[in-house]
Amino acid sequence: MLENVTIRDVERELNGLRDASTEPGQPPRLRTSVMTHVAWVPERWAEAAHGVMAELGERHPSRVILLFPLPDDPRDGIDAEVDYRCFVRGGLEREVCSEVISLRLCGSRARAPASIVQPLLVSDLPVFLRWRGDLPFGSDELWQLADVADRLVVDSREWAEPEQAFARLPELCGRVHVSDIAWARIRPWREAVAAMWPAVAEAGAIRVAGPKAEGLLLCRWLGTRLGRELQLEHEPAGEVELVEVDGRPAVARLEPKSPADLLSDQLEIFGRDQIYEETVRSFS
Amino acid sequence: MIFGASGDLTQRKLFPALYALAYRNLLPPQFGVVGVARSDMTLDEFRERMQAAVEEHARDEFRENVWEQLADGLRYVRADLADAEDDEGIVAALNDLDAARGTGGNRVYYLAVPPSAIEPIVLQLGRRRATGGWTRVIVEKPFGHDLESARQLNEVVRSYFDESEIFRIDHYLGKETVQNMLVLRFGNGIFEPIWNRQFVDHVQITVSESLGIEGRASFYEQAGAIRDIVQNHMLQLVALTAMEPPIDFDADSVRNEKVKVLRAVHTPGPKHVVRGQYGPGYIEGDEVPGYREEPGVTPDSMTETYVAAKLYVDNWRWADTPFYIRTGKRLPRRETTIAIQFKRAPHPPFELDAGEELRPNVLLVHVQPDEGVSLAISAKVPGQGMTIRPVHMDFLYGGAFRVGLPEAYERLILDCMLGDATLFTRADEVEEQWAIVDAMVAPWKRDRPHFPNYAAGTWAPAAADELLQRDGRSWRGR
Repeated sequence: MLENVTIRDVERELNGLRDASTEPGQPPRLRTSVMTHVAWVPERWAEAAHGVMAELGERHPSRVILLFPLPDDPRDGIDAEVDYRCFVRGGLEREVCSEVISLRLCGSRARAPASIVQPLLVSDLPVFLRWRGDLPFGSDELWQLADVADRLVVDSREWAEPEQAFARLPELCGRVHVSDIAWARIRPWREAVAAMWPAVAEAGAIRVAGPKAEGLLLCRWLGTRLGRELQLEHEPAGEVELVEVDGRPAVARLEPKSPADLLSDQLEIFGRDQIYEETVRSFS
Repeated sequence: MIFGASGDLTQRKLFPALYALAYRNLLPPQFGVVGVARSDMTLDEFRERMQAAVEEHARDEFRENVWEQLADGLRYVRADLADAEDDEGIVAALNDLDAARGTGGNRVYYLAVPPSAIEPIVLQLGRRRATGGWTRVIVEKPFGHDLESARQLNEVVRSYFDESEIFRIDHYLGKETVQNMLVLRFGNGIFEPIWNRQFVDHVQITVSESLGIEGRASFYEQAGAIRDIVQNHMLQLVALTAMEPPIDFDADSVRNEKVKVLRAVHTPGPKHVVRGQYGPGYIEGDEVPGYREEPGVTPDSMTETYVAAKLYVDNWRWADTPFYIRTGKRLPRRETTIAIQFKRAPHPPFELDAGEELRPNVLLVHVQPDEGVSLAISAKVPGQGMTIRPVHMDFLYGGAFRVGLPEAYERLILDCMLGDATLFTRADEVEEQWAIVDAMVAPWKRDRPHFPNYAAGTWAPAAADELLQRDGRSWRGR
């Protein structure tokens, strides 16, 4: 970890790693970027974020900027770790390389993260922002980073108070396209409920055993599709285990997906998800 | 001989460049340097200071034997060029070097001094030209402060020196990527046929800095962004982008073509020029003061730290194709880029969802950082359906060539010693550049915009965005 660095130091380090990765007499490795992937990772999510990133690099060659805010750190500066990761890809003789920049934002440096990220964005490519944990609505950090991103990826399962957060999410949808990993997780359940048509047209209540956020999303999604409010009966569980509409179970074809798979799927979506946005707006 | 030898430019750029040339055995053994400045310094102190500068700023490792070779040929003269009596010390130092190293009377005078000092130095130098060998004079930017002063300065310099002996330096022209612009355009068959109004929608040139004025208030208050960057670097980049192919790479062939472009630049009206000044904000997460709070800046300063403009090059190739330029201090990042945005595909046959991400092709010439060229194209995301996303084809200098890029000053100093003025600005070029700038600033005397009008760390005033939005376009980046 390089301590107390400037962005110039980070660029120099990256250039050095890039140069060093080419062996004399060999063609340069392909530096490949299809996006800049920024992740805002409060301390308690650091381990999980590292795990996902380790799996993701090969699938989405990009410049990854991991921001670890440490606002209570007595120091006022930026520590950086720069990594140049190369992967062998099928069909290519040369390795494909992407860049991972981890920045610890100490003290007041955590207050203006966009000013740190902007010099490092790859020009003219989309910017995905993965926000770990609760969304601090109204905070400068969130607005600033949302303004430099094309797409904000959240996981509402990580929120302490999902109902309140959903109610405020439309404020963000106006500024940036939003993806919710929890919404992707319940896709098989939504398909299963839709397959219950036409019986589901008269539904009055939905019972979900699973995380709170997923239960709320399923209930509001069905409600907005049917054009009326539904009763939610929620039982806490680590994963969605059961969905019943008016007592009739939905049968979902579930395929296990790792956190990296789920994030990877989100990084391939560009447009606005209007059904998700309508679902979320119903909380306001 | 370097005038202004105790200054920042000498230490940060000139001596590191000379060291790099010595390191590569590109300097003749007879080479020597006379440093001239007003600071009281012994020769040993001057050597120590230059050695420290080389150790700090040179791109190569410090080698004692290389430095010794350079240091042996150093001389230092304390002189005030306004004072004719100080002349004797300079003449003595030059004669001493001639005798000791056999320089044969060949002289390069590097004027790394403020604009006001150029004229008296040129007068002194002109009056006592060496009789043997060749003489060349390098003049740092800014060359004058408006068209009239530039003409006057040209007149003074040319009354003592031939145009072939005058090297007006704009260090941007010494950058590898700027030179590569010529190779990209004229060394490849695929670009020139589409490098015109029929295929190019518009051009965006960005010279942005995240730094503030770094203690240069006295200079910057006089110059502002328009004289510091637009008059020279920016208009040179416009000229290189828009010029016709020269018949050869001879200095005058290249410069003739650049002058034609500058002459064809339509004077932008006040609605096509936006100026700004930064207020307090954040850079790299650090709170920074506004321009008016910088040391040495007056609290009600109206100096612009940002300029954006829409220019038209009124000729057959570029008629009605806008060249949007912008430069500023305390912008979110350091970047110099020429972006050629091509027209959209006329009729993409994809469904609406797929077409949403269909962006126009952009050829990006990265002058700094990440020197290289990128072409943004649209590609299908593998899998079912038709999802399209932009991808980049990148050529990065650092990755493609296993040699470090020479600093601009290395190339330019060497070219001057070799008598090659291709990468230097000719008198008529400078005057054309000033004519454009004078026309841009003329309306500024009549109005007082509300400054500051952008926060440090942001992409500048809303009016700059509107400049493009009126045309249904937007600035690159965010």
